[in-house]
Amino acid sequence: MVLSSSFTPRNFREQSEKASHDARLRAVLDHATRYFMAKRGAALDAFADCEVHFARARSARLTALSRLPELLEQLEQSATRAGTQVHWATDAAQAREIITGIAQGCGAQVVVKGKSMITEEIALNPALQANGTEVWETDLGEFIVQLAGEPPSHIIAPAIHKSRADVAALFREKLGLADLDDGASIPELTLLARQALREKFLAADLGVTGVNIAVAETGSVILVENEGNIRMSTTCPPVHVAVMSLEKVAASLEDAADILRVLPRSATGQKMSSYVSVLTGPRRVGEADGARESHLVILDNGRSAVLADPLLREALLCFRCGACLNSCPVYQTIGGHAYGSVYSGPIGALLSSLLLPPEDTRDLPFGCTLCGACKRTCPLGIDHPKLLLRLRERGLESGRADSPGFASAAHTFLSLHPLAYRLAVGAARAVDPNLDLLPRLPGLPSGLANFADTRQLPELKRPFSAQLRDNRKKQGRKKQGGA
Amino acid sequence: MSRDHVRQNILAALRAGLAAAPLCVPAPPARPASLPVGPDAWTVLAEVLAPLDVRLRLATTPAEAAQHVADIARERGAQRYARWSEMPAGLDMDDALAGLTRVTNIGAGCCQALAQVDLGLTLAQAALMDSGSLVLIAGPGRERAVSLLPPTHVCLVPRRALLPDVSALPELLRAHADATGQFPGGQLPSCLNLVTGPSSTADIELVLVRGVHGPGALDIVGLDWA
Repeated sequence: MVLSSSFTPRNFREQSEKASHDARLRAVLDHATRYFMAKRGAALDAFADCEVHFARARSARLTALSRLPELLEQLEQSATRAGTQVHWATDAAQAREIITGIAQGCGAQVVVKGKSMITEEIALNPALQANGTEVWETDLGEFIVQLAGEPPSHIIAPAIHKSRADVAALFREKLGLADLDDGASIPELTLLARQALREKFLAADLGVTGVNIAVAETGSVILVENEGNIRMSTTCPPVHVAVMSLEKVAASLEDAADILRVLPRSATGQKMSSYVSVLTGPRRVGEADGARESHLVILDNGRSAVLADPLLREALLCFRCGACLNSCPVYQTIGGHAYGSVYSGPIGALLSSLLLPPEDTRDLPFGCTLCGACKRTCPLGIDHPKLLLRLRERGLESGRADSPGFASAAHTFLSLHPLAYRLAVGAARAVDPNLDLLPRLPGLPSGLANFADTRQLPELKRPFSAQLRDNRKKQGRKKQGGA
Repeated sequence: MSRDHVRQNILAALRAGLAAAPLCVPAPPARPASLPVGPDAWTVLAEVLAPLDVRLRLATTPAEAAQHVADIARERGAQRYARWSEMPAGLDMDDALAGLTRVTNIGAGCCQALAQVDLGLTLAQAALMDSGSLVLIAGPGRERAVSLLPPTHVCLVPRRALLPDVSALPELLRAHADATGQFPGGQLPSCLNLVTGPSSTADIELVLVRGVHGPGALDIVGLDWA
């Protein structure tokens, strides 16, 4: 598959189709998702009272949502008292304007960034670059995809789709390392990235990060990472901007601690991530490092509307551990890029559908087998399938019959209404027992033709439903005979 | 639209959403009791740290601790070091590291100076048994970058600093709040770092590499008397 940043959720179907035929991508995804699931499984097996800790983390997140306006006001007050400048942004454009304004205000020529989904969501980098600022992604995976001009493909491991030879070729070209061999080892490549980015950290005028948790009662921002790049971004440059989507608040330090007990274990199987920073305001008198000036940008970007929906608001519980991606058979098959937006996998299909214009995301809720693996995996108890079904209904309520999503929507309707399904398939099979002709039938919507083209049906002489009826009859007879 | 307008609109939208459909939060189950910090605490900590490639060396006297730190510096080939100014009583670290150059001028251009250092020495305010996390609270003479920029980080952990798990963090933070702050409970420290093992990444082919942006080596010296 040719990778470029031209992916869009609008083309989810085509992108999924292509991705699912990419043998190398599937091998990489298979390895990566198994790796994360195994590490996570081992960590949870050894985690005493796991379910109780999950329930407490869920409760901390629910509390945050249930008191969101008052907690955000409290956060603003306590952060301001700690010396942080607090900004509010309704949408991505406002957030970009605030952050580019801060960059210009401090004369920033070099900006270093910690990995954050939210700055991807608001497309911050191009806005900063448009003003002539150098912007560096400093998480190794993000650095690699930035050099390649690609979007991240996984919340936790943005460059899992790249091999070491890909990375060597990229560093050779983009870092001016003409002698770098394709056979360079992974530790060697990591060291090269360390050296290249160390210079940038020391030269940077501004560090930009996301926020894992913002504590309302203390005004603290909590950042979780493994590499140390976020610590560097908040320690070396004179100015730090933290960007948070407004639901990332926690009422108290206790709630934050309950979340920290669960988040690393669920994300990477670690008892704690290598570095957790609790930052409260800028550096104080007598301190030699840390930002002298700290900013917090509180961004809505569609979330307040999601909070108003009593069912769909559950998606705002998410703290981005990424476990649902790894558990999802669809993600395991198509990877992150096919979703065409910042967020991928089950939670990505939800968030993108909720936050982006409906006409761009019509197909996303249908990229789900409703198997429920995500729901069982989610430590916060988010019921992704239920929410995706609701989004499908919503799409149908507002959709048009000639829309590209119609075929899959029709399939959904049929799968939700067993009798209609039996009748429809039975009717088709009366003329075409193995549905061989379906892709070639004239006048079919292309969506349905694609559907049939990529699925192999077992060669049934009798439809399954009929077989089932036969079996039940047989069993019934046996039971009667034995009684 | 004015800045205050933006803020008011967001808060009003959130309030309206919750008013139309209130969100009830059932009481969560009680937080499970933390494991006690018992007589075997150092053994437990060493076992948690081993998979992170972190070695815990135990010292029963200041002289033994000094020897451990000198050994670590030699094994890591360190020539220049920096340290937090406050060290436990009776422990002369500059004497222990007499063969090395101490970088002291880390006021302005702190990070530039610390980027030239081979070994950073800190004193943990706490360590969490459950995860093997060191708790480092920044302040005057306690630079954040000492535990971050040098390739080797050596951390001293007094026995009384051992705590069960991250649920102890709120109390610890409040204990270090600046009581002179103008609001109740005081101001929290500007920066607390939990450090759990060396800096690490698995971003290329999911192969674990220690030492990306932060230290690739973390050594811990337990101070059993302190």
